[in-house]
Amino acid sequence: MEQTQSKTIAPRDPDVVMQLSRLGSFHQSRLSFMRILLRRLEAEAWTFDRPVFDIDARGVGRAVYSAHGPERSYSLVAFANDLPPEKRSDRVIATEWDATFTLFDGIPTTADLDRLQNNVPKQEAGRVSERELSLSRANRSVRLWDYVVEKLAAGEQPDQTTVEKVGYLMRTTAVYGSGKFGAADREDTADRPEFQAPFQIEMLSVFLTRAFVMDLVEHMAQSRAPDTAVPLDPNLRRRFGMGNSTGLGMAPFLLTHPALLNSWIAAREEALARIRGLPDAHPSEVDIFRSFALRARLHAQDWYSEHPVQIAKLDALRADTAALLAHLDSVDLTADYPWNRLWLWAESALSVEGQELLASLLLEPYPHLVDGLSSCMGADETTTWRIDGAMSTDRLRTLTESIYRWALDTDWTSPEAQARVWYTSEEKLEPRLGDRFDEPVEPYEQPLCPGRDAARMYVDLCAASNTTVAGFLMHHPEHRHIVRRVQITARLPYAEIRDNTIADTVMPIDMLRLKLSFFGACHFDPRSDRWVRINMYQHAPFPHELGSRSGDDWAYPFLTGGAA
Amino acid sequence: MSWSLNEIESLARKAARGAGLSWGLAEEAGKATRWLTAAGLPGPEALADLLTRNDGADYDMLCPVEAREAHWSAKGGTLCPLVAGAALCDRAEALAAGDNMTLGQTASPMLLLPYLAAAAQLAGRGLRVSWGELTVTLAGDMHLQPANANALHAPLADSVRIECTGTRLPDAPSPAKGRGQMPPDVQQRLNAFAQRTYAPATEASRLAGAGAGLTDND
Repeated sequence: MEQTQSKTIAPRDPDVVMQLSRLGSFHQSRLSFMRILLRRLEAEAWTFDRPVFDIDARGVGRAVYSAHGPERSYSLVAFANDLPPEKRSDRVIATEWDATFTLFDGIPTTADLDRLQNNVPKQEAGRVSERELSLSRANRSVRLWDYVVEKLAAGEQPDQTTVEKVGYLMRTTAVYGSGKFGAADREDTADRPEFQAPFQIEMLSVFLTRAFVMDLVEHMAQSRAPDTAVPLDPNLRRRFGMGNSTGLGMAPFLLTHPALLNSWIAAREEALARIRGLPDAHPSEVDIFRSFALRARLHAQDWYSEHPVQIAKLDALRADTAALLAHLDSVDLTADYPWNRLWLWAESALSVEGQELLASLLLEPYPHLVDGLSSCMGADETTTWRIDGAMSTDRLRTLTESIYRWALDTDWTSPEAQARVWYTSEEKLEPRLGDRFDEPVEPYEQPLCPGRDAARMYVDLCAASNTTVAGFLMHHPEHRHIVRRVQITARLPYAEIRDNTIADTVMPIDMLRLKLSFFGACHFDPRSDRWVRINMYQHAPFPHELGSRSGDDWAYPFLTGGAA
Repeated sequence: MSWSLNEIESLARKAARGAGLSWGLAEEAGKATRWLTAAGLPGPEALADLLTRNDGADYDMLCPVEAREAHWSAKGGTLCPLVAGAALCDRAEALAAGDNMTLGQTASPMLLLPYLAAAAQLAGRGLRVSWGELTVTLAGDMHLQPANANALHAPLADSVRIECTGTRLPDAPSPAKGRGQMPPDVQQRLNAFAQRTYAPATEASRLAGAGAGLTDND
């Protein structure tokens, strides 16, 4: 135990944090990329307009939503489609969508729009240019879309419970960034302050997409019944987020961007450690915390899933929020390192879902300790990427033993330990997960199983007579990728998922949730072990409301239905 | 039509893997092709030519062997710049300390340049590379200004000399930006190599592999 003279709390051990079951229980926080974006848009007083909205009564046409910052403007270019139901699929292999989008760097001319109209609706089969920063598409939630159009056309507001059961009118099924299909590379814009934090392009695109979707549904109701239609009540309108359906495509990113992953986790762990290290808390900070705990309970209540694993996690989470609120009533949280005491209580009293919710909640009362860390969440992979060939093989052995202890202790000859194979299908180059012993996919295996690869490398390393990494790799080029990972993780402790990504028990949705929680997503609703639906920006202000409503205080439902 | 550097790197990585390089070497081949493209050089062409030349070759035939002190050659007669380049980069400290190197016959020597640029950056010292009539100094910027462009594109060099200039380099430059060109035939050749890394689409894979099956129409 640490003594009271030094209450510097160290960030949590990566062996604890980087387990899939824990990463798959992460929640959004002050450090989520959506919240970082909206704080900036609000602080810099960005303005928004809609220079084009040319959509017919069938819902077909195009629209432009522009965002104007201190130095530059960006425009969401949207193409709306009248999609026959049989063509509607969330899968990457789909070829048509209800709506398609690109985020344009600046304000597009009519010629730009015409060029984009020939390409953006085709998505992967089209081609964009360095003027475009992202490419995405969305499908309607048919069950809610038709209902809302009908209600508004009849001059009525939709029922709030029906709205919240789904939570969005359209869900995106892929948001491509950085250089994909000809778009601008991330490196081209990374030095702009507004894109310094990760995924700000994608988050801006989704923020504007949500505004477009809500305008479109009102437009459709208006077109159907010009005499009776009404717009959505603004308070109800904000209860619509933007849905997203995500498959395995997101998982490899976490393994191919180790330095970036480290930056995300390290920022959150540093924030948690800072708050646990506070010797006392002002009563107003305790009140803020309590209020967010209440709102988090509301969020857990509104969170629907049909997946058995998530249902069990939600039951535990609801019990956790009740236990947390009861505990708050029984302890003094103003003195004697209150948040650390609360954290230590939670480690034995709450499920992993509840513990990770608490980790996010503890950041809420302390913007001055937390928000600045958002500037540490980007990463330049190139600075840690090159192999240090002068490192001794002894040192490499010691590092492997310390980082991959779990993998060296795993029996990789057991079929359960390497039951799965990550591979890329020739169909739209979709990443997939196959069965090593039942499907002929092993020859196509992608290097997304660092634990097994580290264990294999370690065997050869122990048998090698070379004294340097350079000499070892000359004879063992097959270990080059994993030696790189060992050396990166030696410098960046949260760079590696310290768990088995090819076990028979692996739940790829854990990897998806890790990434999506940093985006700021909520209401994780797994549709299988490798496919999840989420909600983004639910309760957030719309672009035209920024300035009159908080750009940051929206990530949990409001207790009274109004702004805090 | 231009390509983003990420597209070129990604295609090059997959093509190198498809041609038989290990994942780690293929990752570096992707970065090397990107670097050459950003420097205004025909990286994708050089890679496509090299992969075609070495398709099916055994690593042991391509791998450098220290024939005598500071002199590498390949057992198969011709060094692969993707293998030798990575090995040279692994010896960045020694190169910077003045351990000059000579390579025997080497295919597409232009592909060595990105690895040596990385080595120079890692060790903080400029490197000078020469083959035939050509000398290129790698000193932390992308302005190579070769006097003899034909030699730069040589499919083969009899020998390559690598020396430390002693010049101290500034800290890491900002990442290279720009767009790339790739003639259609080059893209097709790289795609054919990359295609080998993709599993054929089957109905079982389509359903189970992505974990779908529930309705999307809701």
